[in-house]
Amino acid sequence: MRMINFAKRNFKELIRDPLSLIFEIVLPLFLLFIFQQFNIPADNYRLENFTPSIILFGFSFITLFTATLIAKDRTSSLLIRLGTSPMKSSDYILGYILSLLPIVLIQNDLFFLTAIIMGLEFTISIIPTILVSVIISIFFISLGILIGSLVSEKGTGGLGSIVVQLVCFTSGMYFPIEAMGGVFEAICKALPFEACLNIIQGTLHNDFNNLTLVHIIVFLFYFVAVILLSIIIFKKRMISDNK
Amino acid sequence: MIAIKTKKLTKKFKDKVAVNEIDLNIKRGEIFALLGVNGAGKTTTIKMLSGLILPTSGEIIIEDMNMKKDVFKIKEILNVSPQETAVAPNLTVKENLEFMAGVYQIKDKEKKINELIKQFKLNDVLNKKAKTLSGGWQRKVSVAISLINDPKILFLDEPTLGLDVIARKELWKIINSLKGKITIILTTHYMEEAERLSDRIGIMANGSLIDVGTSEELIKKAKTKNFEDAFVSIATWGELK
Repeated sequence: MRMINFAKRNFKELIRDPLSLIFEIVLPLFLLFIFQQFNIPADNYRLENFTPSIILFGFSFITLFTATLIAKDRTSSLLIRLGTSPMKSSDYILGYILSLLPIVLIQNDLFFLTAIIMGLEFTISIIPTILVSVIISIFFISLGILIGSLVSEKGTGGLGSIVVQLVCFTSGMYFPIEAMGGVFEAICKALPFEACLNIIQGTLHNDFNNLTLVHIIVFLFYFVAVILLSIIIFKKRMISDNK
Repeated sequence: MIAIKTKKLTKKFKDKVAVNEIDLNIKRGEIFALLGVNGAGKTTTIKMLSGLILPTSGEIIIEDMNMKKDVFKIKEILNVSPQETAVAPNLTVKENLEFMAGVYQIKDKEKKINELIKQFKLNDVLNKKAKTLSGGWQRKVSVAISLINDPKILFLDEPTLGLDVIARKELWKIINSLKGKITIILTTHYMEEAERLSDRIGIMANGSLIDVGTSEELIKKAKTKNFEDAFVSIATWGELK
């Protein structure tokens, strides 16, 4: 299968970049550990809430490094060579997505393992949480494909950092967005990150009281739109880059 | 037997005509050099012939298959060594060969990879990451990769650019050994390379194919002493001799 072959190559490229592993795995693990040492008296920082936040934080780096990989591929002649091969667009897109999923699983396993060591109660709901996270990660990977198709390798650093910041400040990871109110709250509700966090937290707690229909609609809208856009823009850029 | 045929092949980018109504007939097993100054339209022509970009108009027939209808079948039987070295930087040389063998779904890939390692003398760099290799080695690997699927048609875009004289001569030897077995379309800025390797030479200028022939025929036509002068004369429509 060409797509698996391409995914294997992408996976090797990603795991051989030490920076990618540091930001995708080591930094979130460090944050998970360090915030627990502060004993901050807020619900957001309780292990059962902060572990899903760390998962989402790790995904924002998945977006950044996916974007960088694709932008790099576009500027190298490798995509020219592959463009003359019998590979189809679906092989590329699925190849990129599949290559990131093992990293997502490693992230999730390590985050939960660390959280359990630090006192998170082991419940069966961790398994569906990991599965739901994998689905949400497809949104973040597609966002990376979209960014990597739109801008140069230098530009991916800037746009990727914006995604990281948006996840930090609009998901409700560090503070409840309702506390800010007004325009800020409205912006957060219109973006998909709070919805993503509520879905992961709800699955882990087996309690979906915080998850509203608006959250589900917002997430599904971004999920479908970003996947479709990433496919369309990637295909277009494959052609225009070769002009 | 004709391997590549084009009829009025044209590519326009907005108002700019990059390739203008080219009619090519390249025989099976022939080495055909495409020469021209920068911006003449060589690379655009190769990109169209290799299925990378679509022509604005005209027709491409490769091994009796139409590019419009059978693009994926055609892509199975051709390969390209692009102008810039096309390798996966964080993969070793061996992994690059394995990766491309996977792209073309080569059945006996170990046998083919070992054959290329021997042919291109890649043993010393086999386990080195491609990004750590010199430009010359990367190009050598890039050309080796282009033979992974035993292509019937091979496009070599400036294959010896950046190679030292010994590596260049070694690559010439390999290209010569493919003569008659693979149809090769070669672009180069080295006149000696075109003259030594190719059966026929096409000269492009401003997107048009202005002359085709053997090096001797082109020298005779341009009434010059050597091929370099003949090329300059033809490419400038006799303005420079």
